[in-house]
Amino acid sequence: MAIIQFKDFSWTYLNQPKPAINKINLTIQEGQFIGIIGPNGAGKTTLAYSINGLIPGQYHGVKEGEVVVFDKEVEDYPRGDLQQKIGMVFSDPEAQFTAMTVEDELVFGMENIGLSIPEIRERLEWVLELTDLGPLLNKPPYELSGGQKQRVALGAVLAMTPEVMVLDEPTSMLDPISRTRVFKVLEKTKQEKNNTVIVIEHSLEKLVPMADRLIMLYDGQVLLDDEPRAFFNNMPLLMEKGIQSPGVIAFFHQLIQGGYEHGLLPLTVDEAAERLDLIFKRALETVKS
Amino acid sequence: MNKTLLGYVPKESPINAIHPFVKLFFLLIVSLFPLFIQAPEWNGILFVAILLLMAYSRINMGIMRIYVPVAISMGTIILISYTILGGIHPDYAILFNVLGRPIYWERVRDALVVYIRILPMIATMVFFLSTSRERDVIVAMRSIKAPFVVTYVFAMALRSAGMVLEDFHIVRQAEQARGFDTTGKSLVYKIRKYVMYMIPLFALSLRRSEEFTNALIARGYAFTGEAAKVKRADYVLTHYQFRNLDKLLTTAILLLFVTLLVFRYILGFMGLESSLIHLLYQ
Repeated sequence: MAIIQFKDFSWTYLNQPKPAINKINLTIQEGQFIGIIGPNGAGKTTLAYSINGLIPGQYHGVKEGEVVVFDKEVEDYPRGDLQQKIGMVFSDPEAQFTAMTVEDELVFGMENIGLSIPEIRERLEWVLELTDLGPLLNKPPYELSGGQKQRVALGAVLAMTPEVMVLDEPTSMLDPISRTRVFKVLEKTKQEKNNTVIVIEHSLEKLVPMADRLIMLYDGQVLLDDEPRAFFNNMPLLMEKGIQSPGVIAFFHQLIQGGYEHGLLPLTVDEAAERLDLIFKRALETVKS
Repeated sequence: MNKTLLGYVPKESPINAIHPFVKLFFLLIVSLFPLFIQAPEWNGILFVAILLLMAYSRINMGIMRIYVPVAISMGTIILISYTILGGIHPDYAILFNVLGRPIYWERVRDALVVYIRILPMIATMVFFLSTSRERDVIVAMRSIKAPFVVTYVFAMALRSAGMVLEDFHIVRQAEQARGFDTTGKSLVYKIRKYVMYMIPLFALSLRRSEEFTNALIARGYAFTGEAAKVKRADYVLTHYQFRNLDKLLTTAILLLFVTLLVFRYILGFMGLESSLIHLLYQ
């Protein structure tokens, strides 16, 4: 079922000569895990903000076309309604905190949407288990490490149980370990709730194995939109546009280019290891024979 | 240790058992006491009592050391403004002359009265800040059913103060890394070049407020409209209970205040005329 539709959607920020998003047509199905990639200035954040109503609500500019979320144009939603359906996590965890302790931060959204105390308590327990933030509950969020902060931001949005999660570069300020933990939370959410997740990311190692679909934006337009393996078959285009493929994929692409391997690209290190094992076994058999 | 606005308090401290409202009530009411007391010895007793309360609450009393230079400079400024810069008063009694200017007994006494009035006020504030977290202030305000928006804006103000300081630190480090450093330069130079810090700080603040607004909207918060009318459950308050001890303390503070007013304005105690300093001079 299509839950988000961009229909000839364009957005031009005030006093900007060209549109940040230019006549985009996109349909997002329920339960999909979507990765949105592209260089800086491609329009990724604008696209994300357009889904949860921050655009045009909070920004001045010219909108053309439609953004339909759950069969209703974004602008037709009463204030606060859309945010219950679309959860948003921003890149700078520090900038998203609105409360004095981790616990206050996690419950803030739930209080806003009018949940009762028992409901809040139940969801809080679930989120703490999911994000492993229990020991930090009484700490001020701004005293946490970058990874912990982002897990708090993620937990605060998850607690509102939105049907769609939009994450705008959630790991851009994190070290590799924290990055892994954030993606683990997303993986668990996907398994438990089957939410629709839209992640904007530059770092593709963690994103690609989880994504059902990858969309590449460039200069405000959709340049590529496909499932991950097919997506990386367009390696020359990706390289031309400055997209850094995960090491495993880039390596196998080189092998395929050199004629040492053929077939589908592996997306994870495990898949690559299996494929390499097969390649070595084949090579050994060839040498023996 | 529990972190507070001004430091740390041990987990075992008896102050941790007190409801945040009582602490805020203590601050608001007890800091008014010196305004009604003129006699320095009574304000001195109040000051010592607050220090004893701090010690009982197991606050690190070393924290008071940082206020000693402030207290000395404040005392000096008050004394100078009341005496040397206090004007000519032919009716007053001259104690001695400094640089040809008369120093009056009444002005010295008034300086002392004002100074000893301020000390317990500061001690009350230090006591509150040393035993409360930001969350306590919010809880105290919500306990008396202050509108959510008011408590929220207050919380934001508390938080943004820290954020601005942090941003200022970042801006200064960035400028130092690019060779701009006012260390060791004259005050005039520092003031003139302060704009170098203020412009990026201002730009950062604008960006922060935009991000902050986005975060609030993303969490479903609205100041106006239908979404603002949603009945909010106050989950944080479920962690706090207003026990009998809290009721007792609140009543005691209130009674103390009423007693003070009775003693001061009905029975005529704690005034300047009956103070030790006045009797001493006569």
